[in-house]
Amino acid sequence: MIELANVSTVYEDNFMALQGINLQIKDGEFVSIVGPAGAGKSTLLRLLTRELKPTDGSVMIDGVEIAKLSRADIPLLRRKIGTIFQDFKLLPSRTAFENVAFALEVIGAPASKINEDVPKALDLVGLGDKLNSFPHQLSGGGKQRLAIARALIHRPRIILADEPTGNLDIMNGHDVIQLLLKINELGTTVVLVTHNKDIVDSISRRVVTMDGGQIVRDQLENGRYII
Amino acid sequence: MLKEKLGRVIQAGWNNFRRNSYVTFGTTGVLALVLLLMLGLIAVNFFSGVLVDALESKVDVSVYMKTNATDQDIQTIKRDLEKLNTVASVFVVTREAALAEFRERHAQDTLIQESLAELQDNPLQASLNIKASDPGQYATIVSFLETHKLRPLMDKINYYENEALIGRIQRISSTVRDWGALNTLLLAVIAVLVAFNTIRLTIINQKHEIEIMRLVGGSNWYIRAPYLVEGALYGIFAAVLAIIIWYIGASAVSPKIALVMPGVSLIGYFFGNFIPVFLLTVFVGIVLGMFSSFIAIRKFLRI
Repeated sequence: MIELANVSTVYEDNFMALQGINLQIKDGEFVSIVGPAGAGKSTLLRLLTRELKPTDGSVMIDGVEIAKLSRADIPLLRRKIGTIFQDFKLLPSRTAFENVAFALEVIGAPASKINEDVPKALDLVGLGDKLNSFPHQLSGGGKQRLAIARALIHRPRIILADEPTGNLDIMNGHDVIQLLLKINELGTTVVLVTHNKDIVDSISRRVVTMDGGQIVRDQLENGRYII
Repeated sequence: MLKEKLGRVIQAGWNNFRRNSYVTFGTTGVLALVLLLMLGLIAVNFFSGVLVDALESKVDVSVYMKTNATDQDIQTIKRDLEKLNTVASVFVVTREAALAEFRERHAQDTLIQESLAELQDNPLQASLNIKASDPGQYATIVSFLETHKLRPLMDKINYYENEALIGRIQRISSTVRDWGALNTLLLAVIAVLVAFNTIRLTIINQKHEIEIMRLVGGSNWYIRAPYLVEGALYGIFAAVLAIIIWYIGASAVSPKIALVMPGVSLIGYFFGNFIPVFLLTVFVGIVLGMFSSFIAIRKFLRI
């Protein structure tokens, strides 16, 4: 359960990125957060990964106030979450296998589990034959599928996807969304940030619309991208 | 479990090192230069040590005994001197030895030989030749002699004639040592800054990766460790490179130095101390590499 209560975020240059946000996301939900550039969507995600602390209000995940986490506990929070980004954020000097394995290594998984799970995850996203490829040897869609495999590998409770289709063509974008829906069916909460109207409309789940740092609309079912 | 983690960390560090070949080449090169500078400082210290030792060995104090002093008196003074810990050695020249040496030195000079034959008695004095463990100690040794109970049997202490020279040599020695130490320190600081900045640039290159590791939930130590390994590897490879270059260079230069400073062998010194020099270079390389990595990465682990 993700709960934001009265959250405001002001950046150092006094730019108010979020203003009095109240939002609850239940376990197993698929929520699309939409809105124009500068609406505060990405800031919201960065609060959830504790890259940022709110200036005001509270951000809770599973009942834990994450602004109060000690520096040593932040990695533990991040291991509950899988993150997918528009720019993929893959480790360029590591192979596909190593990129995915890294997420397991940090939680201290044994080598046997890594050797068993990583090829399966890569298979799931359609990269079963690219274990030893480096990110620069993959297409845009391939990179994003690799990033999804990494986000999934440690079976996180929550997946945060920040414009995951932003750098992809329509076909690849569609594939990525299908993967996210499949992950959601298995019980993982998915928070998707996007400004792609076609994608949002095709998902028809909960849609939260933001503008100017505020939530302007929250459609709980069959949501559409409406500005 | 710990072994497995350690293995992963070392493997990741090695991969970073191996896969960024241009960066690795540059960083190792710069670090090797820094280590060469350190080896150069060792050589400079070696030469200034040789110089100072040579100067200091030329300094001594002689006490000339009156001709009525017996061998026993001389031996008493020698023993008393040897009890002082400021005295390194005392060498006695008896009257006979002094005469024999004088005859030999002037063997070609018939006038001197004839004059000596005329004399009934040996006109030369016995002397004690004293070397101090440190040239700063001659004054105290001389004042000890001045208050000695057999002082009336001593004719002349040549310290007073040599005092100015001894003082000057002592000042040169300590200046060479002090400046050597200061220069070493200064260059060492520069070397550390250069090494540090090079490694810092290498790690700034990998800032993106560090950010990703954090976002996947890597703990700070887990992220840091491979970079420390990488830093240590730069140090090890740079040390080996520096040692190879240094020994080749020293072998080439050493015979030329021996022409200017006979009996001084630079390469002999470095081969004689190969293991300590090698270990020191590797150690300094590793410490520089790891320390620089540690400081450089700290900045990216804050968020």
